[in-house]
Amino acid sequence: MNRTLNVCLIILLLVSVTTGCWNLREPDQLAFIIAAGLDLNDEGQLEIASQIAVPAALSGGENGGGGGGGKKSFVVVSGTGKNVMDAGQNLQAQLPRILFYAHRQTILIGERLAKNGVGSLTDMFIRNPKSEMRSSILVVKGGLAKDVLSVEPTFDPYISTILVREQIAVGMKPYYYRQFLSDALSQAMQPLLPAVALTPGNRYRYAGSAILNKDDNLKLVGYLNAKESAYANWIIGRQTGLSITAPVSPGNEELSLNAKSLSKKLQVDLQDQPRITVMLKGAGIITENNTSLNPTKNNDLKRIEKELSQATQEAVQALVDKVQKQYNTDIFGFGEFIHREYPNRWKTLRPKWNAMFPRLRITVKVELKCKDPGQTNSAIDSML
Amino acid sequence: MNVGKSVKENELLFRNLFQHCSDIQFRELTINGGTKLLLIYVDGMIDTDVMTTNVLKPLLYDGLPQGLGTIDSIAQMCDLGLFAVMQSEKLTDCSEIEDRIMKGNAAILADGEDCAVLLNCTKFETRGIEESSNEAALRGSRESFTELLRTNTTMLRRIVSTSNLKMESVEVGRLTKTEVVISYIEGIAPANVVNEIRSRIHRIRLDAVLESSYIEESIEDTHYSPFPQMVITERPDIVSAGLMKGKVAVLTNGTPNVILAPMTFWVGLQAPDDFYERFLFASMNRWIRYIFSVFSILFPSIYIALTNYHPEMVPPKLMLSITGLREASPFPTIIEIFLMEFMFEALREAGIRLPKQIGPLVSIVGALVIGEAAVRAGIISAPIVIVVSAAGISSFVIPMYRFSFPFRMLRFPLLILSGLFGLFGIALGIIAILIHLIGLTPFGTPYLTPVTPIDLGKIKNILLRWPRKLVSANPSENGADRT
Repeated sequence: MNRTLNVCLIILLLVSVTTGCWNLREPDQLAFIIAAGLDLNDEGQLEIASQIAVPAALSGGENGGGGGGGKKSFVVVSGTGKNVMDAGQNLQAQLPRILFYAHRQTILIGERLAKNGVGSLTDMFIRNPKSEMRSSILVVKGGLAKDVLSVEPTFDPYISTILVREQIAVGMKPYYYRQFLSDALSQAMQPLLPAVALTPGNRYRYAGSAILNKDDNLKLVGYLNAKESAYANWIIGRQTGLSITAPVSPGNEELSLNAKSLSKKLQVDLQDQPRITVMLKGAGIITENNTSLNPTKNNDLKRIEKELSQATQEAVQALVDKVQKQYNTDIFGFGEFIHREYPNRWKTLRPKWNAMFPRLRITVKVELKCKDPGQTNSAIDSML
Repeated sequence: MNVGKSVKENELLFRNLFQHCSDIQFRELTINGGTKLLLIYVDGMIDTDVMTTNVLKPLLYDGLPQGLGTIDSIAQMCDLGLFAVMQSEKLTDCSEIEDRIMKGNAAILADGEDCAVLLNCTKFETRGIEESSNEAALRGSRESFTELLRTNTTMLRRIVSTSNLKMESVEVGRLTKTEVVISYIEGIAPANVVNEIRSRIHRIRLDAVLESSYIEESIEDTHYSPFPQMVITERPDIVSAGLMKGKVAVLTNGTPNVILAPMTFWVGLQAPDDFYERFLFASMNRWIRYIFSVFSILFPSIYIALTNYHPEMVPPKLMLSITGLREASPFPTIIEIFLMEFMFEALREAGIRLPKQIGPLVSIVGALVIGEAAVRAGIISAPIVIVVSAAGISSFVIPMYRFSFPFRMLRFPLLILSGLFGLFGIALGIIAILIHLIGLTPFGTPYLTPVTPIDLGKIKNILLRWPRKLVSANPSENGADRT
């Protein structure tokens, strides 16, 4: 009895070993893809560029044994193909190690490809179980993804990790692939992707946002500059901090407010012509004051807050108008908001939403508060 | 065989018995105008002062003790209790007399009497009570048990001053005739456990009992568990605390190591300091031990599973630097870990019995050769050294040295499993270990109580060492519901 049990156990063990389910991979058999770039080359073919880590260069010469100090910490390999995996096979042919997708930090989309539409390429990134859903996704403004990947960044060894941090540094929540996907699959939200651009000194620069139209194969519609995309993200709810500089009377000298705890509230008035009110709130610290006002005095503070809010409100209103009239895409998720609040009305609104959006009456109200006048009261030069 | 009436015959008898035993002394005396007495004892095992002043002098100079009328024989003296020593008895059987002499009694045989009087005036050189070197505590009694059973029982009796503290004596071992004392507190220790331990000790058939481990091995439930089923300690405070919680102590003559049974898993992770230190600090220390004991058993295998099977679970930066450090090393990760683990165990084993003067040498060679040189030469990758030494050091966190053995040993099967099947293998291994632990019931007490079978009232004592005010002050209550 005991003997047969043992034999059974051993056979069971052998089965699991001998079926070829043997996915042991030493880390040095893997080529870690840390960023992928999607481009359309001059022949109109899909070209995938992958930034692949060279770990030996990271560990430093001393302990790595053979690792060289002068080695570059990554290589960019590119290959063409019919789709992403097909191009991946092409990449694999150039590398002695197995491609490993799960540490991919960033997906970059070149402008030409974005204009051509990326809707047909999104499948692999979610279907492939080895793929990483938490990659951040960006559009390269006026350039090829391949070129951005080759940039050697200042602090980190890889540009891919830098691009995530850049988004945090400018005050927005990093835009990950899963967010992109949920936007693209939602009923009315149009994806707003962060964008980078190459600068002449072979460096990158955060270049605002790119608007894709999901009703048209995710084609690139246009760009928002950095300031506009900060306002747009504020309305969407993806902005965590914002530095606002505006002239304040008298004298129209500049005053800066570093606003944190940004919040937004939407109100919809569903008449025959829906009317949407966007209420934006923010509070922060005065970080620079070149005016003659003294923020520790109540009257001055009120005036600063009022004028800052006024100036911001105008800027946001301008952005909303631009998006409505020029781009005609609902990147703010107003439709999605109506869908959630009034699901019944949405059923009738949905088919004509795209036509309705440019004609919506949208009012923006901004309310900024100065919680803290900073470490001093009036401007230094007025005390001199 | 019984002793005869003639002193001459008896002397011959015992001289035959103790042939070639140079340490047995025969001393002939003559008293009361002619009666021959024969004194037999083991040289160096009796208190000669007591013997001379309290036994020999009265017998030789005064004839008989004064004021008691005539006494005919030394047997009568013994019956009347007239020997000024603590214990005396009258025996006739030869082998019994031999036993007593061996234990340090002095035998007196008189001409014309067919019995021997055995006087207990044992005294021999022993080690004094010293500080425990293996079980150090920052606070609390410094005393540790000695090799002498009597001293050990005294220490317990001094702490637990109640007549309910029972000390049942059993003699074990055909040749060594080692005295073993089963100690428990009546009313607190569950009767079935006491009976079980008593009957198991009575069933021991061994020639020699040199150490309490002989007893432990003979009475343990299973030999094939890596986990110890009894606490072995040389601290009287641990034993008496155990007794008061309803445990049974087994003291063995000739060794300072006392058995405390039955043991639970959690006791192995408790230190005496837990109970002497303030409760917040003690509770934190306890959790550090829990965490690091798990860490010591799992860390190397989890490292293997994560780097070789699930690299996507490691943060990208960490994964890349691990890969970078591995680039130059010639062996697969699992081989590297095994090499280093074996080396670590060798260092540990080598360090134990080395003389104090060359002890530091091992650590120098270990640190330099294995730590530095192997990494520099690119034979072993640096993360492996970190993993193995971190796991090794955390196994030293376990206060009871022998309780860290299972954690060390089980690391190896887990390594193999994780090398073969990744995290899946580790899960299998942990399940197997847990099945074993749950099935383990030394002396009828589940090893993992009170966690499983769950006892909500007591589980809080595992989580924290609560202030005594908040825990029931009456230990007998704790003992009663144990049965």
